[in-house]
Amino acid sequence: MNEKIQEVFAAVEAGKAKKVPTAVQEALDAGCDPTAILNEGMIAAMDSVGAKFKAGEIFVPEMLVAARAMKKGVDVLKPHLASGETNAAGKIIIGTVAGDLHDIGKNLVAMMMESAGFEIIDLGVDVPKEKFVEMVEANPDTKIVACSALLTTTMPSLKETVAALNAAPFRSNIKVMVGGAPITQAFADEIGADAYTEDAASAAQKAKELAGV
Amino acid sequence: MIIIGEKINGAIPVVAKAIAERDAEFIRERAKAQIAAAQDEDYFEEPVPLYIDVCASTDPAVEVETLKWMIEEVESVIPDELENVAIAVDSPSAAVCAEAFKFCKRTGIVNSVSMEKDEQGRVKTDIVFPAIADTDWGCIALLCESGIPQSVEDRMAVFEKIMAKAKEYGIAPNRLYIDPLVEAAATNQAAFTLFSECCRRIKAQYPEIHITSGLSNISFGFPGFRKPLNMAFMALAMQAGMDSAIVDPTNKDMVGLMYATELLTEQDEDCMNYIAAHRQGLL
Repeated sequence: MNEKIQEVFAAVEAGKAKKVPTAVQEALDAGCDPTAILNEGMIAAMDSVGAKFKAGEIFVPEMLVAARAMKKGVDVLKPHLASGETNAAGKIIIGTVAGDLHDIGKNLVAMMMESAGFEIIDLGVDVPKEKFVEMVEANPDTKIVACSALLTTTMPSLKETVAALNAAPFRSNIKVMVGGAPITQAFADEIGADAYTEDAASAAQKAKELAGV
Repeated sequence: MIIIGEKINGAIPVVAKAIAERDAEFIRERAKAQIAAAQDEDYFEEPVPLYIDVCASTDPAVEVETLKWMIEEVESVIPDELENVAIAVDSPSAAVCAEAFKFCKRTGIVNSVSMEKDEQGRVKTDIVFPAIADTDWGCIALLCESGIPQSVEDRMAVFEKIMAKAKEYGIAPNRLYIDPLVEAAATNQAAFTLFSECCRRIKAQYPEIHITSGLSNISFGFPGFRKPLNMAFMALAMQAGMDSAIVDPTNKDMVGLMYATELLTEQDEDCMNYIAAHRQGLL
């Protein structure tokens, strides 16, 4: 990897919000390809951050700090990229299902997906199943719908949400991801979701797989 | 939190024995155990200082030479790369402090002065402040003059006098560690209220000043069940503005509480110190 891009990678991985914009600018000045800075410098660094989080080597605040640092770099990079390039991986609609107000995990997942190069439409918490469907209809380029449920009592709501998505005519164009503390792979299979992941880092990784990036 | 490690004090019988026998190995080991709690730059972005308190508690006639020996032994085990570790030179005699601090290679703090007068009728601040004026040394200052003032107003009046002295000798507020004094809760249930109110007023006036305390006084009179009281005091006092304490740095319960309290009171951006303390094995 190019030395300047390596510096961007290291700064994002270490969550150096002050250093990242400088490193990105230096890489640009050195003639590095902006797309390479984004993909090999920043998104790859967040992949590494996700892997370390999964391995228990780093903790939630460090993941947040790294994502924040990356955003600072993206601000510098954006004028040098074709429009939409920072979200080149595709569009994801995310939300916590009806009846459930938990958003910490959902927000972490959204953040990691954004850092992986996706455009995120965050519907927030307590989202009716109809809203998920409407939003996909309004955004026909949506690649993934990610639904979260944190309580055993809102698992039925998650089931209904996935059922509504599965019954929609656009179903073959999207992938449905589910997650949340009580959710398991078996439950995801049972309700007809395409994927389940157990943490934010794995969710971002899985989304890339599903979107084919 | 700036920890002042309390384990090398001649008032502790085993330490007194080691001092009397000039047991260098004992002193060094006690120093090393405390140094292990110092924030390491491998883990912490900006390591805060840790001071190893050195108190001889011997006959005044041999106190200076005893401190010299102790200081040399303690400094000999501080690794060169640990720049944030130094000594707190501790004596009830300001004159001894003013002499003994010169034996230290590293810049530390003097423990302590107050507005009390010594046997020759000299105010303690007038002995130590001029001695450290042209150095970067810090100094602990107790808010007492003749006995312990019993109201916030009276303690703050002593504080004003100390600050006037500091100004006179050119000691910047950030070099001062004010000890608002902790009395035993067993005999004065307003002990913490008094302490915390002083902390708030001092910090409001001088945000850059340090506040410290020998907090275990709070639990005097409760033998065998002092710990919960000490810990509650620590957390509450930190919220009131105390940013230093004279404690046992090898006590993980207390050290862990300090890092946790810093996190909860928004003094630990992004929880980085809490995580660093975990990685360094301090929690």
